[in-house]
Parts: sequence; structure tokens; C-alpha cells
Amino acid sequence: MSAPRFREDLLEALSNAPGVSGGESEVRSIVAQAVRDQVDTLEVDAMGSLVARIAPTSAASAGARANGSGPRGRRGPHVMLCAHMDEVGIMVHGIEKDGRLRIRRVGGIDPRILVGQVFRIGPKGVAGVSGVLPAHLLTKEDEEKVIPYEDLYLDIGAATREEAMKQVAVGEYGVFDTVYEGWGRVRKGKAFDDRIGCAVLASLVQQRPPVPVTAVWSVQEEIGLRGATAAARRVTPDLAIVLEGTAAGDAPGAADEESAPHMGGGPTITIQDRSLMADAKLNGVLTRVAARRKIPTQWKRPGIGGTDAGKIALSGSGVPAAVVSVACRYIHAPAAYLDLRDAQRSVDLVWHALEALRKEWPVS
Amino acid sequence: MSSATAASLPSTLAPLLTAYGPPGREAGVRQALRRLLRGAGSFSEDATGNLHLHAGGGGARLLVTAHMDAPGVIVTKVDPASGLARLGILGGRRAVELIGATVRFEDGRLAIVTADRSAAKDGELDADALSLESGAGKHSSRKGRSSARRATGNGAHGTHLEVGDVAALEDRPSRLGDLWCAANLDNRAGCAALAAALRSARRSRFDVTAVFTAQSDLGSRGATTAAYGIEPEIAIVVDVAHVGDGKETSGFAVGKGPGVALKESGFLAHPEALELVRRAARAAGTPLQYLIRENEGSDARAIRMSRTGVPTAMIAIPARRSGGLWSLVHADDLAQVSQLISAILTLAPKGAGTKTRRSRRGKGGRR
Repeated sequence: MSAPRFREDLLEALSNAPGVSGGESEVRSIVAQAVRDQVDTLEVDAMGSLVARIAPTSAASAGARANGSGPRGRRGPHVMLCAHMDEVGIMVHGIEKDGRLRIRRVGGIDPRILVGQVFRIGPKGVAGVSGVLPAHLLTKEDEEKVIPYEDLYLDIGAATREEAMKQVAVGEYGVFDTVYEGWGRVRKGKAFDDRIGCAVLASLVQQRPPVPVTAVWSVQEEIGLRGATAAARRVTPDLAIVLEGTAAGDAPGAADEESAPHMGGGPTITIQDRSLMADAKLNGVLTRVAARRKIPTQWKRPGIGGTDAGKIALSGSGVPAAVVSVACRYIHAPAAYLDLRDAQRSVDLVWHALEALRKEWPVS
Repeated sequence: MSSATAASLPSTLAPLLTAYGPPGREAGVRQALRRLLRGAGSFSEDATGNLHLHAGGGGARLLVTAHMDAPGVIVTKVDPASGLARLGILGGRRAVELIGATVRFEDGRLAIVTADRSAAKDGELDADALSLESGAGKHSSRKGRSSARRATGNGAHGTHLEVGDVAALEDRPSRLGDLWCAANLDNRAGCAALAAALRSARRSRFDVTAVFTAQSDLGSRGATTAAYGIEPEIAIVVDVAHVGDGKETSGFAVGKGPGVALKESGFLAHPEALELVRRAARAAGTPLQYLIRENEGSDARAIRMSRTGVPTAMIAIPARRSGGLWSLVHADDLAQVSQLISAILTLAPKGAGTKTRRSRRGKGGRR
């Protein structure tokens, strides 16, 4: 069976929606709406992760029965597919007498890029500018240094605390004010880490998979892989594949060997990062399938980053886990780029890997 | 029993020191242990890479662990022109300790670790300043550039490296008087002590599962999943502890016999488990010294915190660092640690781990 089509319409909706760690409800609604009719069960767990179960096609089981692999047909391993819904952003931490907002980072935003940005705050999407001193007030030292985020404030145009409090409240989130757009094969948007994974996963379940799948759209990944930790304990899968948006290294000026993975270079596979030694056997399945299907793949540079896969791998008595990512430029920043071909190839790779797993993966 | 254990140690330790087993790639050590422990029980492996040996016996479920992994390096990028590779360090080794080390990949290829010493700051070096020389570059061939390119292109060249390749420290164990001197003593010494004890002690009063854990140096990952699956009622962790690490205040020293940890980073010994070790030391006639350290830890923490908590003790093999690749372990300490483990396995359980309430609850919770 050919792989499902990548749903770009979902990526657009998901990228434009706000969903900072702990406040993923809008993203969750979009995903739930998109997959509701395709999955067998759909629920929200206590952490807020969206968990969908979907049984394999009857054709897949029938084929297995014809192969003589057991009386009830070989269903293959129970696979957990996981993508996180949350994005990095800011939280309103306090409101000053003069109406300025104090902010804190949620997740790993580079403080260098926090200055001079427009954020959308709270459910009303109030615009706020992360203010800086005008040039004529800067000292020489100020020009050289990065403003620590503790010193940053957000200006929503309010003159007093009372005025500000009519628009925003302490504890509300802010996201980058970025609209999804693009031309040719490349798209620009915010939160591609990990709305691209969310969209790839939602695309995958548009068709009944060849093996039993539990799809998890997890929460609070950016602040410590929390949603997936809890979800994995409940799902208890035989193996897991995490779908991610990862940082491309092909920035201008990077030496060639430092630039991997490249945007447009095909799905990126993790060998090792700070949270995970990817399961070598599962990576073997992915690379064999890629070679057979002529899907280009690339390795993520070892030792960098960490994903939900790290926590899933350590859940219960241990779960073989791998990570398939779309390489995005300028991740964790106001706007990132990705190549739509990488999105479709990720869907293709994971879909055909599920087919291979049904035949190859030993099930106890 | 004791003398048999001690006598078999050198032949147990040597193949473990030279086996391939960096974190997450412990296949070589698993294979060596399966060979050494043939007939000692039933083996299984799990998703994290742990090797389980269910030795059986009656009574409370006792988990005994020693981690298999020893530090290694992973190729992070390869410069096609020079053939040099950048690397990341897997496990607890500082970059300076690796300068000049020979490393071996799983398929047998060798490389050495070279360093840009000018990048050193205050005597410390970042892993970014290290490179792997495997002889794949153009300088290694008279044909020059074209052969280097070919080597990188199709992998036919024996020394060609790829991103993600993992290498182990090539060990050359030696004996300096009473001291074992080797690169991978942490924790192959623990594996050897445990393996020798398992071979000599067949009839245990506990239901014994030995787990040689994987990925310990990456944050006790193997111990975490093993303890969850086994749900032990009492646990013993065997690991090397380096003298001078983490502000010991207890006079912990090489040559003074087995150590037992009272406190480590994130871990306090459980009184019942501690008492079991003390009783075993009395029974085996081995000395026992205390280990108290602030900044270093072992798999004991992960096991102690598993599920609803596991009474756990940590037995330490004292070791000294050389400042470079080598560690030093006293042969008598190692033999006595093995005797101590033997004694634990064969002791009649008294108190520890045998409370019926805990046993029943533990068994009921198993799948």
C-alpha cells in the first residue's frame, strides 16, 4: 500500500496556533479534529497529551494469516508514534506599575533573539513588543552585550498596570507573531519544532496502519519531556518512533561537514543524543526501508539535543526507540524554514517502516 | 569457595577488560559474560541492552548488578579531505584523559585520539579539541587525494569512519605487583567480581537475578529499566569507586578491602541491605570499609528509587586514577569483593528482604 499524503493544510493550521508548554489546548483541538474519524479511540490523558489507538487493516492481518504466522494472524508489534504539541515561548511573569510586562522563557529560547520581537499574548492574542532602549540611550557596553531575559520587558502599549491588566494576566503565554507562508518547496513558520512532527503523525493515521499503533501528541516536551514520560507508562508499546523537527546545520558559513543535517536532505535519523542511544535494530529497519524505497536519509549529528524518545526508551522495562526528524533551519526562533519534500518523505519512511516491522519485528 | 573464587578472577577479568562495550553498544561484553557464565543460569537480554542471568534459588527476589559499559567515543563528523573525525565522549571520561588513546570500533578498525593542545584552558580540554586519526586521509596513501575520496565514498577502505560509529578504549591490562592496571576497570572489575561469585555460588537462599547493566555512564539507563522489570525485594550494586572522587571523608583507600557505600550522590544505603552486606563480610571474613562521597554515584540510586523503592546497598571496588587512561585496582580488594558477593548469595536470609508483607505485595504486583 502506498503511504498517506502529507497534510500541508494541517501543518499550516498547527504552525499558526499558539501552544507553549502547558498551554497546548488549541493545538490539541486541531489535531483531534483532523484524526477523530480515522482512529478507533481518542482520549486526552491526565497530563493533556492526546492519545489515539488505531488497529491494523484487516488486509494486513489477512495477509499475515496467509503467510501462516499464527492462527489469529500476525498483528506485528504495538508501535507508539509520538510528536510533541508544545512550542517554546514566553510567560507573563509580572506587570509593572507603568504597564510593562515582565517575562520568563518557557523552554530553550536563545536570549539573543528575544529582543525586539513581537509576541502574541494570551487567549486574545494581544500584541507585545520586547522592548529595548533606543540607540541614543545605549552605553558602549550595552551595545556589546546580550540582555539577560530577566531584564527584558514586554510593551503592549499600556500606560498603567490597571490598563495592562485589562488586556493580559500574569501566567499567560506569549508566542512569536509569525504567519505560515512560503513558495516553491520551502515553507516558513513558527513552532515547526514540533508541529511538523504533529502533522506528519496526523498524516500517517489518515490510513489504517499495517501494525497496531498508538499515536501520542504529547505535552510539555520542551520543559523536560514530561507528557511523553507519563504517556509511555500507559501505552506500554513494543517499540516507539518519535517524530520531530530538528535543527538543520546548513546555515551560511558553516563548514560542510558541520552542516548536517540539511534542509531538503531527507528524513533525519538520530543515532545518539543527550537523552537516547537509539535502538540499533530499529535504526537498521529504518535505513533498510529507506534504501529499498530510495528515500534519502541523513544522520543527526550525535550528542546534540534530546527528545521524548529518551523518556519513552526508559519507561517500564525499556522500549526500543528511534527518532525521525525533519531538518528545519532556525528552530526555537521566531520563524523557521522547512522543505515540504522532507515532510512527505518522513511520512513515506515511517509508513513503510511500519510495514517492514509487521514482518520483521519479533513479538513475544 | 573463597579460594576458588579468587583463583578464577584473573581469567575472568582479562577477557572482560578487552571486550567491546562502550555505552549503548555493550554486545562484546554480553558475549564475553555469556561465555564465562555458561551453565550458571538462564540468560536473557532486554531493550536497553542489559544482560540478565536468572540464577534461581528460593526466597526473596535479590537483584545483583554490575554495569558493563565503559567510556568510549562516537564519531560526530568526518572531514573527507583529511580523513580526521570529530568525536563526542560517551561516558565519564574527561577529554584530557583520552589524548593519545587507541580506540577500537566494533568491527575491529583502530584509531588514535589526537588533540589540539593549544585549545586547552586551565589544563582542561573540550571534546571539540579532540580528533580521531584512522589513517583514512590522503596523507596515508601515495595516491593522495583520489584514494581518500574513494575511501570516503564507498566504505571499502578499512579505516574509513562514518558519523555515528562508536569506538571503545583499546585496553592493554597489565599487572604492577598487586595492582591491576587497565583502562576499562570501571566497571569490568565489578563484572568480573560478580561473574566469579555467580560461578562459585550455585545454591542461593535468595531468588537471584544478576543483571549486567547497559548505559550506566549515560545516567543509569539500564539499571532503571532492569529494576522496573524485575521488581526486586532487595538489591546489591557492584561498581568501581575512585579514591579522591567527590570529597570522601571516610579514608576510603585502595588495598583496604571491599567498600560499602553509606552515602553517594542521590543515594543513602538502606539499613536492611547494608546489614546484609555487613553479615556477609563477617561470614566471608573480609574487611569492609565505608565509602561516603558527595559528587559521584552509581546505579544504586536508580534501583533504590525504582517503583515504590528497593532496599539497596552498593559494594565498591576501590580504585585509583592515573590522570590518564589507566585505573588501578588492588587484586586482593577485587578477590575480596567477589568473596563478599558469594557470601551474600549463599547467606541464610535473616530480616533483610524476607518480610512476608513486602514479598506478597511484590509478587502480586508482577505481571
